[in-house]
Amino acid sequence: MNNKFDALKDDDSGDHDQDQGSPKDGEKEKTEDEDQNIKKKSLSDVLQMVLPGAGEHPLQYNYTFWYSRRTPGRPASTQSYEQNIKQIGIFASVEQFWRFYSHMIRPGDLTGHSDFHLFKEGIKPMWEDDANKMGGKWIIRLRKGLASRCWENLILAMLGEQFMVGEEICGAVVSVRFQEDIISIWNKTAGDQATTARIRDTLRRVLNLPPNTIMEYKTHNDSIKAWEDFHGLVNPSGGL
Amino acid sequence: MIGSLLYYALYPLSRYVAGRHSEASRKALPPAQVNGKAVWDGGAVTTRRVTQFQKALLDQGLSPSSGTERGMKEPRGPEKEDDTRTKEQLVAVLHEETENGAASAMSEVKSTEAETRSGLQQDQVEAPEQNVGEITIHHEVLQVMQNTEDGIIVPTGDISPEKNSGAQFECLQKEDSTEETTSPVQDKIKMLTLEESVTPAEQSRQETTGPVRQQIQTPSADESTTPAKSAAGVTECWDEYWAPTADEAHGGESGSELPFSCLLSNTQSHLKLSRQHDTQTSWHFPAGPGLAEEVHCPLWQFPVPSYYPPIELTGPFEVMWRVWEELDESATAAVPLPFTKASMDFTVMSYNILAQDLLEVNQELYAHCPLEVLDWNYRCSLLLEEIQKWEPDILCLQEVQEDHYNEQLHPVLSDMGYTCVFKRRTGTKTDGCATCYRSGCFAEVSVTTLEFFRPDVELLDRHNVGIVLLLRPVVIKGSEVKAKGLPLCVANTHLLFNPRRGDVKLAQFAIMLAEIDRVVKSCKAEGEDCNLILCGDFNAVAQMSLYQLITTGELYIQGLPAWMISGREDQSHNSHCHRLYAPLWPSSLGITDSCQYTTAKMLKSQKSGKYQYSHDFIQQLRFCPAACVRPLDLEPIPGVTDDTPDASRESQPYDEGFNHTIRHRLDLESVYKHILPGFGNPEITTLHSEGGATVDYIFYTPRRNLTCNQSTGDFVSAGLKLIGSLSLLSENVLRSMRGLPNHMFPSDHLSLLAKFQLDLNAA
Repeated sequence: MNNKFDALKDDDSGDHDQDQGSPKDGEKEKTEDEDQNIKKKSLSDVLQMVLPGAGEHPLQYNYTFWYSRRTPGRPASTQSYEQNIKQIGIFASVEQFWRFYSHMIRPGDLTGHSDFHLFKEGIKPMWEDDANKMGGKWIIRLRKGLASRCWENLILAMLGEQFMVGEEICGAVVSVRFQEDIISIWNKTAGDQATTARIRDTLRRVLNLPPNTIMEYKTHNDSIKAWEDFHGLVNPSGGL
Repeated sequence: MIGSLLYYALYPLSRYVAGRHSEASRKALPPAQVNGKAVWDGGAVTTRRVTQFQKALLDQGLSPSSGTERGMKEPRGPEKEDDTRTKEQLVAVLHEETENGAASAMSEVKSTEAETRSGLQQDQVEAPEQNVGEITIHHEVLQVMQNTEDGIIVPTGDISPEKNSGAQFECLQKEDSTEETTSPVQDKIKMLTLEESVTPAEQSRQETTGPVRQQIQTPSADESTTPAKSAAGVTECWDEYWAPTADEAHGGESGSELPFSCLLSNTQSHLKLSRQHDTQTSWHFPAGPGLAEEVHCPLWQFPVPSYYPPIELTGPFEVMWRVWEELDESATAAVPLPFTKASMDFTVMSYNILAQDLLEVNQELYAHCPLEVLDWNYRCSLLLEEIQKWEPDILCLQEVQEDHYNEQLHPVLSDMGYTCVFKRRTGTKTDGCATCYRSGCFAEVSVTTLEFFRPDVELLDRHNVGIVLLLRPVVIKGSEVKAKGLPLCVANTHLLFNPRRGDVKLAQFAIMLAEIDRVVKSCKAEGEDCNLILCGDFNAVAQMSLYQLITTGELYIQGLPAWMISGREDQSHNSHCHRLYAPLWPSSLGITDSCQYTTAKMLKSQKSGKYQYSHDFIQQLRFCPAACVRPLDLEPIPGVTDDTPDASRESQPYDEGFNHTIRHRLDLESVYKHILPGFGNPEITTLHSEGGATVDYIFYTPRRNLTCNQSTGDFVSAGLKLIGSLSLLSENVLRSMRGLPNHMFPSDHLSLLAKFQLDLNAA
């Protein structure tokens, strides 16, 4: 678990704020966090493995909602990605999805530098997760006001298995930034052009985007490199 | 006899008049419409009479017998002009129109022979003339004579002989004295006619009726075309689809013969003639193919004069015949097949047969009908005749009364090789829908019967039903299935009548669509497209909202006046009319605004083993009770809200709970275009004393393009190709037949019939 590769890095955000702490700064806290996470996870595994309720509509995969926010006021250097990301909940059915979603703030109503992540259970919203490390994402930058609707359309398509690319989809992210919002969908294999093309086409269809919307595909590798270049770092431990 | 003599005496004059009339009317005639179309009369008495009459007219305009009448008239005119001016005019009108009818009939016959109309000779028309026609002419002529002589004025001033002749005829025949007095003359003329056409050499008769016979023969002698050829042309055109008998002459004969078998009660002469032609019984007869003539006021009056206004002398309208119309191959076959492909033709009939119980409850709707045509046994026999006549491969009936189904219809239909599914309406109504298919052509995959009455949904409080069948078209040789086509979904329904409750119809129809959608999806899950036939009595007028939903796939309902859904009754004057607002039905109905079921099992794709859900489907569950519970382990972190889910609040920014638009994703096209070709009069499928309209439909999945799976070499075109249909009639024509039901059509609806083609794969 390398929190130095911040999957939420602002390379996507467009405002390029550089106040993100050095990955190493978080090393210490990381272990504590991880311990907590592991505890929590095992607990949930044992006590409440998420299953569809009786009469509910099961989803093809279980998903996890995450929320992250750059805490204002706290020095960036002490932040770590894993610290900032919080798991909201895991769900296995359409009904359970709504249960969480209905109790979440709409992306368009979020303030500050925040993100919602919706990933398949077991896949962390990080570049370096095994499911993600060879992957990439489609990025769509939206003017303010569109995020809520587009996000909802995107995740409904994902939950409803509308992308038809087998196991390729990993998850989706909506990033609320100062002047714009960004939605992205992550897949496993960046090099699979048929898959990425299909995802793009499905996105166009389900998001009902304005025709001039620019869609950009970015491999996580590129994201990592860009991030490292930006911070003038030589990768110390990632082995990438 | 007297007429004949008079005619002879005044022959030159009448000849001149006749010629002038014919010419004039011919000029005024519109071009012939029907080329190579089969004509069917429904085989009931009224029309047969009319048919005969028409034939009579045809002859009348051309043969001396009409001259006879004229001969009567001409001298009378000057003499009685002062005191009988009105009567004179009436007769003239009748006369003139007779001419018109005759001339137009002639034109039609010609057109079927593909000859140039401009060069028509009047005489040529004599060719298809049948003995029958001759007789009838005389019969009619004599009656007219009688009327003239006795000073009897036909009840109405402007007569449409072609359309109303049935009624006129009937009314004339009621005068027994007339009948009696005319019969001797008739007989003679008949004999003479037979001579003329069958044994011209018979001299003995010729002696007695010499003059007349001579006259009759005159045009025949002038004739340039051979009778056989003309008759053949006529026969061919009528039997094109259903009776491909090679023997043209025979066909012509059989055509002429049929009316008589039905007219037994009418006159002795008819009886005699029918004996002469008992060689073949058939439903086909050349009775004036696709006459496009001007027709005017009927002789009879409806008992409820307020509804049926007198028909004006204006407006050309069409034939009463139901014409089998083949679609032009070249026009439809846009994409030539890369290779020949086995295909299967099949016919579909949709028919609201008018349940007897409903008829008796709503007698005021049928007050215009003679009692005998309302008798169930009579109607049933006509109905079965009609079904036997067309032998549809799929038969969708509405208003099938349960006891009649069990005791009469089902046994007969079973004997005819049909497998039937019957669904009685819920509630106290005794009728329901029945869908029947030929077991030799289709194998049953699944059957669903639908009840639209839902006690828990306020809107769905009416007892209507539907049937959805999934069939597999098969070609069976021996006990082996040689070929099969894509699955065919056949949906049959009868929606609520109430014109003001369009919202109910819409909700009922949504249930129907949802079930069809489920069936189509079940096929898709197996990797097959599904062709679709949707037919029935929708109680909704073409081009109004419900129709629009069916054909375009969407309908914006917010604020829509309820009456506008079906349009059967214009309530636009009523500012307080009931309007529709979304959501039209509660989510408890389990149907989305895309007219799909919300239940998951319907949406799980079996092929991929995946739980696939559409956007709409997931949205539909948004505020279901299970989705509104706050998760127990939900921590109050930023990004999480304490708000409880609220449908009204959510629907504010982008209303997705229930769209204001109702949609479906089926590709449907109507077989009928709701406008009669030619004059552009609206065609109707139902008529009773509260009006006529198109409310019955056959919709189908049209063949949009060829789907070719080249990798497997498997090649099947989805969609159905419409090959032909049985034309409907205009309201005026049906009114002129005394409305519906009548002696020809046993219901207050007409049957709809269409022929489709689908592709087959070797099994």
